[in-house]
Amino acid sequence: MTTETKTGSVRPPFWRDVKVLRVVAQLVAGGLAVVLFLYLARNLRTNLTAANIPTDFAFLDQPAGVTVTGSDFKATQPISDIILLGIKNTFALAIVGIPLLTILGTLIGIARLSSNYLVRKAATAYVETLRNIPPLLVIIFTNTAVILSLPAIRDAATPFDLFVISNRFLAIPWATAQDNSGTYLAVLGIGFVASIAVWIWRTRRFDATGAPHHRFLWGTGTFVLFAVVGFFALGRPFTLSRPEVVDGRIIEGGYQTVGPYVAVLLALVIYTASHVAEIVRGSIQAVAKGQTEAANALALSSFQRLRFVVLPQAFRIAIPPLINQYLNFTKNTSLAIAIGYAEITLVVFQAIGNANPAPQLILILMGSYLLFSLSISLLINFLNRRLQLVTN
Amino acid sequence: MIKRLLLLVVVLAMVAAACGGDGAEETTTTTAAEDTGGQVAGDGVLAEVQSRGVLNCGVNNEVFGFGYVDADGNFAGLDIDYCRAVAAAVLGDAEAVEYKALTAQQRFTALQAGEIDVLIRNTTWTASRDGKEGGTFLTTTFYDGQGMMVKTDSGIGSIEDMANTTVCVQSGTTTELNLASRFAAGGLPYTPLTFDSNDELRPAFVADQCDGWTSDKSQLAAFRSQNPDADGGPEAWTILAETFSKEPLGPMVRDGDTQWAQVVDWVVFATIQAEEFGLDSTNVANYSGDNPEILRFLGKEVGDPPTVFDPGLGLPTDFAEQVISQVGNYAEIYNRNVGPDTALGLERGVNELWTRGGLLYPPPYR
Repeated sequence: MTTETKTGSVRPPFWRDVKVLRVVAQLVAGGLAVVLFLYLARNLRTNLTAANIPTDFAFLDQPAGVTVTGSDFKATQPISDIILLGIKNTFALAIVGIPLLTILGTLIGIARLSSNYLVRKAATAYVETLRNIPPLLVIIFTNTAVILSLPAIRDAATPFDLFVISNRFLAIPWATAQDNSGTYLAVLGIGFVASIAVWIWRTRRFDATGAPHHRFLWGTGTFVLFAVVGFFALGRPFTLSRPEVVDGRIIEGGYQTVGPYVAVLLALVIYTASHVAEIVRGSIQAVAKGQTEAANALALSSFQRLRFVVLPQAFRIAIPPLINQYLNFTKNTSLAIAIGYAEITLVVFQAIGNANPAPQLILILMGSYLLFSLSISLLINFLNRRLQLVTN
Repeated sequence: MIKRLLLLVVVLAMVAAACGGDGAEETTTTTAAEDTGGQVAGDGVLAEVQSRGVLNCGVNNEVFGFGYVDADGNFAGLDIDYCRAVAAAVLGDAEAVEYKALTAQQRFTALQAGEIDVLIRNTTWTASRDGKEGGTFLTTTFYDGQGMMVKTDSGIGSIEDMANTTVCVQSGTTTELNLASRFAAGGLPYTPLTFDSNDELRPAFVADQCDGWTSDKSQLAAFRSQNPDADGGPEAWTILAETFSKEPLGPMVRDGDTQWAQVVDWVVFATIQAEEFGLDSTNVANYSGDNPEILRFLGKEVGDPPTVFDPGLGLPTDFAEQVISQVGNYAEIYNRNVGPDTALGLERGVNELWTRGGLLYPPPYR
């Protein structure tokens, strides 16, 4: 009898051993995928070679031959430069758009839960309208209804003599560096470090004595002190540069951007904010009701309740779906091609249209978006881990 | 255990073999890939089109006079008529065409991928396109040049007045490249505003987002002629006199199929030759003369003993008659779509027969 139990525990022959079969199946599937990919890659290369289309990346060093909206790019610069410029322009949309859409989306998400009938319904109307329109339409609408309706540059609006608003260029006042500007930036850096030190000191004092910390006031105050004193002590290291229209054709001074950039930014921010609003609303509602009730029992004001009790918990829930919206925003910037903003998709297709090989360029384009998406995920996942509840 | 290892080795060997083969130097594997590729057609596009019974023609759908959709929803224009001419020659039916509307950026990829048989989409013949786009340009059907259109009330009289202006241009076109060269040569700083299509460019020009609109002069004339009265009508827009590039527009086919290239070439030549012979769609069917050159051209019996001339292009011997009776000769095609009596009102200019001092010069059909 003992021998029988022993044979029962002996492993079956390998062709019936689940462990082995699993590994083999993985290897076979993986191998097939690799073979298929290599076959397709070679097929492409053979056919491109047969059709006399270059298969290497040498074209990247060729002059681009075109100039680019809103930059001083020269036609003699190589294609690799114009691709980098496109990446920079896409980044310029993402870096400004993501904070804006987060703020707008949060406000609207909170408004959807407001006890005020009008605010609540207005927010619902906003979300339900924009969420159900394709982003391309929002972009074209914004461009036509908002940007193109702005005055032509020769009749540009110049509110307070500080801004220039036209359908071609828009400009805001900007700081111009003078001598000492480097020193001043260093002073600001020291001020920043000092304000953090003050913040920590006030927090420690609060922890020790329980006296009100007012750490935000103290911290900002320290920084402002450094900024103001440093500014005058160094003899005005920055001066204000006001934008001015020259000849009714261009703008000089200030910080300027082109109409299509503003159109795409505006359109995608209001579009993506409608999705973010839903995420924020859902996350707030997902916070246990007892938390709100507890906050009410502590006689917190409704702002305090949101700021200190509900929102911190809601954002924990919201972060994973928010990442998705940030990624969507970044990918949707490719639609800017419709209204002529030179982001990465536009410059790549432009290069393809100018007799450069499509497969390589599309590969570069895909790689660029992958880079964008992975960096955003990485950043937010890091934040997510920091904010997650410690559950042990 | 040994068997298990063996299996692993087999799988690894498979992967290794695939990796090793990547060099594409071994002729055996390369031919296999070619056979399945589809791009390097063994039987040729001509046979393919004939067996399919319909011609896939890549065209424009937004340039009035060249390639556009008319009020009845049909494709029309000079380029469209050449699609029809090729179909009439190859299939005997000018209507057997499947039009594929393409943007400037899509066009070469569509041709390379075999989505279309021929690209007739006001495409400029350039060396790098011939060399790097995997296609071959054929006989020019329209000699064009690049111009600049401005608002009449802008006060701009020439390119030299355009320092610091913003110029609207379609991306992925030769005009975009010429624009950069022309303004660089004049030392004129400018801002380009590039659009994917003319439909998106037009509103920007109307709203004064750009001071100038640059494109082939024929295209500018087309859009100018179609400017609605609400926007001031055609008079509100002015095309500057200067022509700053050569833009020969013509059909393009994929590289590597000489027979098909010759077919399309000779269809274009036939329309020009017909005008030279004085043949048009009204008189070609009942040609009763005895000019042997014309009889040979029309695929009628000629000589003693009477024979039908077949140049061996792979086309039916009466292809010229089909093209002319169904589509017309060059003058008819030109005048119908872009000529002086149309909204575009373009004079023949260099697009005239060589006998009248133009550039149209078909090789002899013999």
